[in-house]
Amino acid sequence: MLNFIKKSRRILGMNSRNLEYIRPLNLKSAKRIADDKLLSKRILKKAELPIPTLIAKIRTQEELESFDWSKLPDSFALKPNRGFGGEGIIVVYGKKKNAENVWIKADRSSVSVEDLKNHIRNILFGSFSLSSTPDIAFFEERIKLSKIFKPYSYRGMPDVRVIVYNGVPVMAMLRLATQASGGKANLHLGGIGCGIDMATGTTTTAIMGHQKPKIIEYLPETRLILSGIRIPYWKQILEMAVKAQKASGLGFLGADIALDRDRGPVFLELNARPGLAIQVANLSGLKRRLERVSELKIKTVEKGVRVGMDLFGGEIEEELEDISGKKVIGTVEKVKLIGKDGKEIEVEAKIDTGAYSSSIDTDLAKQLGFESVIDFFSSLDLPANFSREESRGVEEALKKSYLGKHPDLADIVVVYSSHGSSIRPKVNITFILDKIETSTQMNIAERKELEKNIIIGRKNLSKFLIDVNK
Amino acid sequence: MNVSPIINFFLREGVPLETVILILMLPIIATFIAFLRQVVGIKAFGIYTPLIVTFAFLATNGIKYGIAIFAAVILAGMVMRFVLRPFRLLYLPRVAIMLTAVAILILGVLVLGGGMRRTGLASVSIFPILIMITIVEKFITVQIEKGNKMAIILALETLGISIVGYFIASSEFLIRFLASYPWAILATIPINIILGKWTGLRLTEYWRFKEVIKNM
Repeated sequence: MLNFIKKSRRILGMNSRNLEYIRPLNLKSAKRIADDKLLSKRILKKAELPIPTLIAKIRTQEELESFDWSKLPDSFALKPNRGFGGEGIIVVYGKKKNAENVWIKADRSSVSVEDLKNHIRNILFGSFSLSSTPDIAFFEERIKLSKIFKPYSYRGMPDVRVIVYNGVPVMAMLRLATQASGGKANLHLGGIGCGIDMATGTTTTAIMGHQKPKIIEYLPETRLILSGIRIPYWKQILEMAVKAQKASGLGFLGADIALDRDRGPVFLELNARPGLAIQVANLSGLKRRLERVSELKIKTVEKGVRVGMDLFGGEIEEELEDISGKKVIGTVEKVKLIGKDGKEIEVEAKIDTGAYSSSIDTDLAKQLGFESVIDFFSSLDLPANFSREESRGVEEALKKSYLGKHPDLADIVVVYSSHGSSIRPKVNITFILDKIETSTQMNIAERKELEKNIIIGRKNLSKFLIDVNK
Repeated sequence: MNVSPIINFFLREGVPLETVILILMLPIIATFIAFLRQVVGIKAFGIYTPLIVTFAFLATNGIKYGIAIFAAVILAGMVMRFVLRPFRLLYLPRVAIMLTAVAILILGVLVLGGGMRRTGLASVSIFPILIMITIVEKFITVQIEKGNKMAIILALETLGISIVGYFIASSEFLIRFLASYPWAILATIPINIILGKWTGLRLTEYWRFKEVIKNM
């Protein structure tokens, strides 16, 4: 019992959410942005974040009467500007054949201009807005269902809710629409929420319901397991959510991001009062997570995302790491390089199992203190235009004549690639990847045109497992 | 009854004792509702609705008639939402039609009460009836915002709070106490300051997050 009460302190309750987080962190001006979809669209767009394209807006009765319906595309979403809980939204998927300006909804019923007009009148009047104040209606691009979610979605758009606090994404949930929720992904309407491992973007536990959420394993009426769904563009989604917090000024933000089939992650809306059921979906207390990041000074988006992934994820990965005794890394990882005289530089490296040894860009090597050996090497008179068969002999000859001539020159290697062969110097470099220190020889090459100025090859990857989705 | 000097002064000026006591009850019931929301976690329709329904109950002759009228109003609101849905009406006309339906239904309930010799029901004064009819708008707003199920839950919570509120406000002990120590109502201010700063979990949240706490 005592333990129960002690543990319950990690949970964020309604009182604490309102008094300690929303009140001081989400100021009135910022809340205005979240409650006004058009305004939040404008602000997100200004921050160069992806949003569904605005097609048209209707502000008054007159604008409604003079609206040119033929300029609407085949598919679109009609929304009330200040709507809440997904109410008042009409989504059409295509135009009906052999009829002018009739569209088809997800349930295959058709929508005429007259229906739309009626609906828009209701929106303008405020039927769907908080406290029934007059509202604006707008049309926007319809987000297309991403293939990966197709089996899980019932006539609605799944989305990812990310809670961002102090520049760190602290908790996330995948929301799925069900038959019971009428194609809406909102939990209080009967949608499903899946907790997400922050490090990998993989779903963990799933819940249904809002007031007293029930833990479920399968998607209702199917045999689809709800855990282990890998959300694509995970890191990008987290980065977008953190950027949205900066742009909107909402200190305690619930960002809703959908995945478009063609465009990837796109913002649906910003939420100034994110719900608390997300804690059940993750079987984890939000309060504890908020407290853990509250003291941190997060300066960049990348740092925030990294902190979130490191602190609040990794259980699945750690399991794998426990079994194999190896660290799981992605195809791009941050490494800390230690060069001459203990010079340290942190860069992003490409993890390349196609290469045998690791290779580093000339400029980066210079920054690490290898300028003199590079100058020495380029002053040498190196043979060119030799065939592949000769290369072994060339390598031997070069080693014999030049090794030991410069203190930093550790080795010389002839590398073949699709561009032909090249002769590269090798130097001793130590790098730290995922807290593991490796001392190795890296060859120095011109990598200016390439995306990353360092690659880590097979030779140095024996202590790691590579996860291409990461 | 032992009456405080200030109340005696009110009485001498012509304010009826019943009115004074009712007004003194107001902050107590309000604090009770605030406590239920912040510490227990019973939401109801905000603070105003349960408060006003409590007083409507106090003003009807006997709580059972009050409950009957309340149930009739909510029932009418629920049924009419489904009836009116296909018409897709604008908000105010829709509420106006609902109020019409509720008015007719209440009239029916009163006549029925009269016919069954329940004269108490038929002679309920108009003000509590009017107050309860206005709940229908609150009910519709919640229905639109949070769905049917939530609206019914909140209506039941409102009813529950109002019933308990009714018994608190009509308790002989409390009435005597307030008549003797009317200044005691000032104590609700520090109590509400504490409630307003309360950041602990609500009792219902222990239940809501039971699975999470167990799994941590």
